[in-house]
Amino acid sequence: MTASNTDTDCDVCIVGSGAGGAPVAWRLAKAGQSVIVLEKGPWLTDQHFRKDELACCRRAVYTPEKRLEPHVVEDRDADGAWVAKSTAESGWDFWNGNLVGGSSNLMSGFFHRLKPVDFRQLDELGPIAGANRANWPISYDDLEPYYDQVEPLVGISGALAKHPNIEPRSSADFPYPPTLEHPVSAWIDEACERLGYHALRVPRAILSRGALGRRACEYSGYCGSFGCSSGAKGGARAAWLTPALATGRCAIRPRAQVLRLLSDARGRVTTAEYADAEGKVRQITAKRFVVACQAVETSRLLLNSPGPKFPQGLANNSGQVGRNLLFSAGGSGSGDLEYAALGAERAAALKTMGPFVNRALDDWYLIEDKGFAGAGNERRHKGGIVEFLLAHPNPTGLANRAKWRDGELVWGLPLKRRLEQWFRTDRTLRFEVFCDWLPTDDCFVSLDPKVKDRWGQPVARIRIGHHPHDLQVGRYLADKAERVLKELGAARVRSSISGAPPPNLMAGGCRFGTDPKTSVLDADCRAHEVENLFVTDGSFMPTGGSVPYTWTIYANALRVAEGMLG
Amino acid sequence: MIRRAPPTESLAPVAATRAELHAWHNALLDRRAFLARCAGVTVAGLFAPMLAEATIAEADQPAKTLSENERMMLIDAVQQHLFPSESEAPGAREINALPFLRFVLKDAKTDPDEPAFILNGAGWLEDLSQQRTSQSFLALDSAARESLLRETAASEAGENWLSTLLLYLMEALLTDPAYGGNPDGIGWRWLEHIPGYPRPDAATIYPRLP
Repeated sequence: MTASNTDTDCDVCIVGSGAGGAPVAWRLAKAGQSVIVLEKGPWLTDQHFRKDELACCRRAVYTPEKRLEPHVVEDRDADGAWVAKSTAESGWDFWNGNLVGGSSNLMSGFFHRLKPVDFRQLDELGPIAGANRANWPISYDDLEPYYDQVEPLVGISGALAKHPNIEPRSSADFPYPPTLEHPVSAWIDEACERLGYHALRVPRAILSRGALGRRACEYSGYCGSFGCSSGAKGGARAAWLTPALATGRCAIRPRAQVLRLLSDARGRVTTAEYADAEGKVRQITAKRFVVACQAVETSRLLLNSPGPKFPQGLANNSGQVGRNLLFSAGGSGSGDLEYAALGAERAAALKTMGPFVNRALDDWYLIEDKGFAGAGNERRHKGGIVEFLLAHPNPTGLANRAKWRDGELVWGLPLKRRLEQWFRTDRTLRFEVFCDWLPTDDCFVSLDPKVKDRWGQPVARIRIGHHPHDLQVGRYLADKAERVLKELGAARVRSSISGAPPPNLMAGGCRFGTDPKTSVLDADCRAHEVENLFVTDGSFMPTGGSVPYTWTIYANALRVAEGMLG
Repeated sequence: MIRRAPPTESLAPVAATRAELHAWHNALLDRRAFLARCAGVTVAGLFAPMLAEATIAEADQPAKTLSENERMMLIDAVQQHLFPSESEAPGAREINALPFLRFVLKDAKTDPDEPAFILNGAGWLEDLSQQRTSQSFLALDSAARESLLRETAASEAGENWLSTLLLYLMEALLTDPAYGGNPDGIGWRWLEHIPGYPRPDAATIYPRLP
């Protein structure tokens, strides 16, 4: 790659190759700019992604070893006091796919847009005590054209049907027909209809037919947490980086751990300093820098990058970097559909492997129920969605849980009979609840004063406090979802709503806004205080909405890139 | 989307309450801390908290020196007890549990403290067997082995050790044959599990990834 400016190595240096960084790389390279992407993880290709439970889910293969690269998590103990523990000791893991393309390689590809209300929660729904609710500085209408652009570029499969909560769209339908659907999807439709609910067909960032130089989905039945071997999944590597590389103006440097960003006396970023695979410290200079390392690590990098104008960390004279960290609130539940109760034909149908469920409920994206006693405005509350899915087919995790019964270990023939029961007699239908994690002063990223990583850098210290209102919303939605499972005749219907964060669903930490005192970025996701620094992962979100973030991150990254082109 | 469930040695169900998650995290913390404590600890401190006072002094001696091969023979016997063979269902021997465990013990992705814990546990069990029965665990019949393992499970360390062996038994049963367990998918066939594709092979198992 040849840089277009002899003063710098490239026009734009992007830190992080996932959902936030890759669309920017594609858009700018396509427009003729020279781009270098620094990614801390390895560069794996489709051929490396096998249906390997050990690799995906049971060993630190796509994530760093926690003893070498820990985080420190602050959680409340039973008395309510904050207690900090290193993940090297606790077993928590806040890493989410350190490889080219980032964690989007491993997503399930449930693709939902935000709804207009998500952009003006404070105005529409009012404040909640103890929460830092805020409006976005842009509207849904500002982002909609980019949501629309993402659909054909990434390859979103779906079918639009009349639905009461559908958000405004500029295209009549999705560019690819829906992925194949499991027989249970029709059962869910019927159950919802009987209950007066509106089952929503979920768009997937998975190609239902070959296109864009990628193969169609092969319906292996393993998707979430696994990399895609056909290229059908629209993760950042397949959807954005491959065409970015094809321009000849984009280069990716894997195994490049960015240690800090250097800034000059004017407050401009000049250099990204990184450690390569051999541990040698190297530098990249660029005219502009884009940070997209996922919420926790983006904040950590800025905090680890003080400069002449930024004694508290890059772009952090407001003290806002790391604040208002978000996760997806909610929880999950399940019920067991027993083969014996279904009859032979339906039991055989239920055993079908491969096709997707693709069903969700968004009837309560806004809760207007007098019976709901949440915090804040008494009439209307932000709700969320319920996503249905079959229990993941990973067998080892399930089997390992079978060894415990009432807190006691089970082994020998009792364990074997239990395994037969668990694996052969039913299939578990699950649901996941996605609702807003209210931003609060008790959820943020800082630098740990003692713990350092393998490169000697202070690690991120993550406080994970949640707002009690989140649990009320989650419980409300879980109760609705349980009704669907019961209507389906499922046995052992249960659910749990928790204030524990799902670390793979994170955002916030560098919220965008119009006031530099309360936000890190402006409406263009440029740092208020640093004219050549942009943040394009989910860090920019002041509120997270109630759906998985990836489509919104893609769309916003395209919007920011468009703005960078002027 | 898969809301990430607690990893690996979870004691909690997939959907857990906050209190359960607290307990789970504390358990994990305890496990790491206790793995570190285990080095140099004797059988009295680990497997036999309820030993009679008179036997404490005798028990609180360093574990007998066993070769790694002898420890693996003991582990083999424990695995076969924990997961016995049946005519209609594979046991530890049929699923290649011991070769799979050998892979785990040498794997760079295994917690560095875990191989020592697994191997030391065999020595502690043998000591306990000698103290209880004056015989090697290998010489005991099934009922005596069961009794000794139940006693082992009553202590924190013993329960952890058995839980760890069961974890790797389940992996040997159901993970891809490319890793040495589950030969020809024998565990998958038994439990009517359909694996995904493409499957890993010798060139694509995780130690070989770039």
